[in-house]
Amino acid sequence: MTFVHQEVWHWQIATYLFLGGLGGATFAISAVLHLFEGCDRKMLSVAVMSSIAFLVIGTVFLLADMLQPLKAIYALTNPRSWIFWGVVFINFYFVAAIAYVIPLLEEWPMLQPIIQKIPAPILGLLERFNKLVALGGSAAGFLVAIYTGLLISAAPAINFWNTPALPLLFVISGFSTGAAWLLLLSMLSSNPGAQAISAKLEQLDAMLIVTELIILGAYFNFAMFLPTGARASAEFLFHSPVFIVGFFVAGLLVPLAIETWGIFFGGHSEKDKPKLTMLLASALVLVGGYLLRIYVLKAGMFQYPW
Amino acid sequence: MARYGMVMDMRTCVGCQACMAACSTENQTPFWSEKFRTHVEDKETGTFPDVRRVQLPRLCMHCENTPCLSACPTGATHMNKDGIVLVNYDRCIGCYACCIACPYDARYAYDSEDVARERELYGKLVTHDVPHVDKCTFCVQRLSEKLEPACVATCPTHTRIFGDLDDRKSEVHKLAASGKAQALNQGLGTSPKVFYIPS
Ligand code: SF4
Ligand code: SF4
Repeated sequence: MTFVHQEVWHWQIATYLFLGGLGGATFAISAVLHLFEGCDRKMLSVAVMSSIAFLVIGTVFLLADMLQPLKAIYALTNPRSWIFWGVVFINFYFVAAIAYVIPLLEEWPMLQPIIQKIPAPILGLLERFNKLVALGGSAAGFLVAIYTGLLISAAPAINFWNTPALPLLFVISGFSTGAAWLLLLSMLSSNPGAQAISAKLEQLDAMLIVTELIILGAYFNFAMFLPTGARASAEFLFHSPVFIVGFFVAGLLVPLAIETWGIFFGGHSEKDKPKLTMLLASALVLVGGYLLRIYVLKAGMFQYPW
Repeated sequence: MARYGMVMDMRTCVGCQACMAACSTENQTPFWSEKFRTHVEDKETGTFPDVRRVQLPRLCMHCENTPCLSACPTGATHMNKDGIVLVNYDRCIGCYACCIACPYDARYAYDSEDVARERELYGKLVTHDVPHVDKCTFCVQRLSEKLEPACVATCPTHTRIFGDLDDRKSEVHKLAASGKAQALNQGLGTSPKVFYIPS
């Protein structure tokens, strides 16, 4: 038995997985906020536009890592492959996100001339079905976020990845980064409507971090159970200070502490200035999410039978 | 229609790596980047003073249940009618999903630098004209001329035994069916078509 660190996927793919989870979750949470909470349209438009940008940049990283990116369209051939479904989900996502965000962009006077170029019947339709598209968008965002985990779990000899806990971990972590990004936007917004949802986002992110901690517990418990490649990977992570300090402490525990404090003692009235600590918590969650993906990829070890 | 497979007799392998050289020449694989379609693992087993060196030649197992084929989004990885797992170079986008999915370290990237170097070395005779992920083909080009794979033909110790696993008279069938030769990592359910006689 030999354990060998995978040398196939590096930080470029980690970046893609991070931005995919962040972009997918940002759109999904925004759409749900729109449907159930009602939220400032200006902030929603910024959130969704940024989520589109995340996915575009992520896709560029993925393509840049390929040997033949110009032939990427061939990836729509084999439905047994997760990449096939990734392409489907991401395209579904782009269509939904663009259809959803166009009516919201009318909130920005400087974009009016561009929006007005769209034929009125189409604009009318987009406006009419905006909530329906938001519903589809939340599904698309979720699928993109979970796909990032499904993609790398399709590795029978990398025991650390080849488990249903990984897509679950990535989807929860993706949603936590999405909530943190939205929290950041809502706190930086000068709009009272946007600030009003800060408290909700703070609670959501804290809940997601707690869920992530539970999944991490189960995940590492599984990994340590037998002397397989999964244990070797887990031990590698335990001995990586950046993973422990950067991801686990600074990216999970510290933001959880700040958010919990904020939930119980912080105020979110309109007069409140964006709290530096809360901005810091959001930024830490984002950095932590990126580190998680980089280190999960680094820790992937093939277990060879020789 | 055959079901080609190979048996490795680990009792006889001396680790000379002639198979690697033969494969590299036959298939123009990038030896200059130290990438090979077949390898010979040189392992030490046991604890002192009861220590032994074991040679384990390996290559693509041409699995019946192919994780690489399932992971390949483009259909570039496919199985031919003789059960040989192949890559269509023109269709491969080099996404590496197959490299991650393969449990036997059988694949590597034939990248643009390798393609350029191959052109320098082989001129008009290049066989890898675009970057792609590469792996063992059981030398399909030789099989169509009724020749054995280059590694098998070269092996001086008859470690590599090649044939049709469905042909009851073949040596590979007898060794695999009798259980004398066993596949590696059977628990994964990949059903490899390469078997090993332990040393
Ligand atoms: S050994 Fe690897 S490359 Fe060969 S068929 Fe099996 S999974 Fe595919
Ligand atoms: S690298 Fe090529 S052969 Fe491998 S999965 Fe991607 S497209 Fe298929």
